[in-house]
Amino acid sequence: MTEEEFQRLCDFLYRRTGMLFGEAKRYYVQRRVTERMAVTGATSFASYFARLRGDVRGEVEQFINAFTVNETYFYREDHQLQCLTTDLLRERLNIKPKDETVRIWSVPCSTGEEPYSIAIWLLENWSQVDAHDVEIIGSDIDTDVLEAARAGIYGRRALMRLSPDLVDRYFEQIDDEHWRVLEDLRDSVRFSPVNLVEAAETRANGKFDVIFCRNVLIYFDDTSRRTAAENLFENLAPGGFICLGHSESMSRISPLFEVCRYEDAIVYQRPLERARV
Amino acid sequence: MPLIRKGDAKPAASAQGEPGDVLSFLANGTDDQRWAAARAAGDAPGGVQALGQALLAEANPRVREAIFTSLVRLRSAEAVAVILPHLRSDDAHVRTGALDALRAMADIVTSRLPALLSDPDADVRLLACEILRDLPSADATALLCELLEREDQVNVCAAAVEVLTEIGGTEALPVLSACAARFPNEPFLIFSIKAASARISSQLPERRG
Repeated sequence: MTEEEFQRLCDFLYRRTGMLFGEAKRYYVQRRVTERMAVTGATSFASYFARLRGDVRGEVEQFINAFTVNETYFYREDHQLQCLTTDLLRERLNIKPKDETVRIWSVPCSTGEEPYSIAIWLLENWSQVDAHDVEIIGSDIDTDVLEAARAGIYGRRALMRLSPDLVDRYFEQIDDEHWRVLEDLRDSVRFSPVNLVEAAETRANGKFDVIFCRNVLIYFDDTSRRTAAENLFENLAPGGFICLGHSESMSRISPLFEVCRYEDAIVYQRPLERARV
Repeated sequence: MPLIRKGDAKPAASAQGEPGDVLSFLANGTDDQRWAAARAAGDAPGGVQALGQALLAEANPRVREAIFTSLVRLRSAEAVAVILPHLRSDDAHVRTGALDALRAMADIVTSRLPALLSDPDADVRLLACEILRDLPSADATALLCELLEREDQVNVCAAAVEVLTEIGGTEALPVLSACAARFPNEPFLIFSIKAASARISSQLPERRG
């Protein structure tokens, strides 16, 4: 891949997905392109790039998959969890009515690692966890992964970022390679199916203080992305926050949200409501 | 571990109702009612016209965004027709909203592009270049080359060159050279054309092979 081809690809990727690659990532990008060319039978970069731009047989999704960590695990991108307990919940509690439940949504939640991570993180790191009711909901379009999430059984790799102490306290070992989330913790997370582009489905989950919506909007086309952003906006309480994946930017998708820069993460906020018209 | 307790989901408020109610809210509701109505109006009979009327009067950026998204979801020539006039808006936010909406259904805007690229208003021609970015390379290259051959506004040329940089085919190379020759006193355009030509030329070995 020549310098010019690399730049063309980077321009397209940024515009289509928000993923930004500089010269330092060139080797990494080239490896992924070479892999996809081999899989698709493309004989040149130009023919592969045409396939990608035309999204022939869903090539954009395949290409993004080659760039992203599809494997999920506990405490992934935990800087956002740090931001949750350091800044986001503090801000929410400043404006929420006293005694109102704190609601957190993990969508898409896949096999449950993220919502259970949120629960463990809060129990371990949020000093006010005893003082508030917290409701955590995990949602996904795939009902098979929701069943797995409810079962709460994970292998060694999914737990790799948890200390042995945390594993001991929040899981029971069921064989040499698998651990199950303790029943109390499983009961503290509710799972529901949802299609992010269907407003009737997203509305049914109510309003949230914080939404974790990581690494899914990059897969959507423009129309679906706009629709999902509006649905997520509706699902946030005024002043509520949404956390996206590290390569995603809501500013490129929708003007509805405000950017909030905290020490541990950049997140997006539904603006507080002004005087009603 | 009884610290995290479950509760029932609380459905978000929505301004759903009979189609007549939706269109009425769209015209006369509060901010929240107009937002909800804008999101629902696409499914109502006469929704496109109502959304178009609402777009003319809407001052709230949030509601305006919802109107644009509903029109995008409709993906019709009728929806395109009510968005197009807003490319001429004096409000940059409205122009950008219209452009983003049109780009999201570029395939439906295609038949309008020759007229947009020949529009007397240079700003409209400039924005039309951006819509082309989402078309197949050959179609976009042909339209942008036609524009470059006759365009006398340097900013419009620059917009066309920028799009060609990303998606242009090699047939654009002689047109780019001619454009650079027509604007010898515009160094930024000449620089842009040089960069575009280099990127487009990277396709040549395969074309020759």
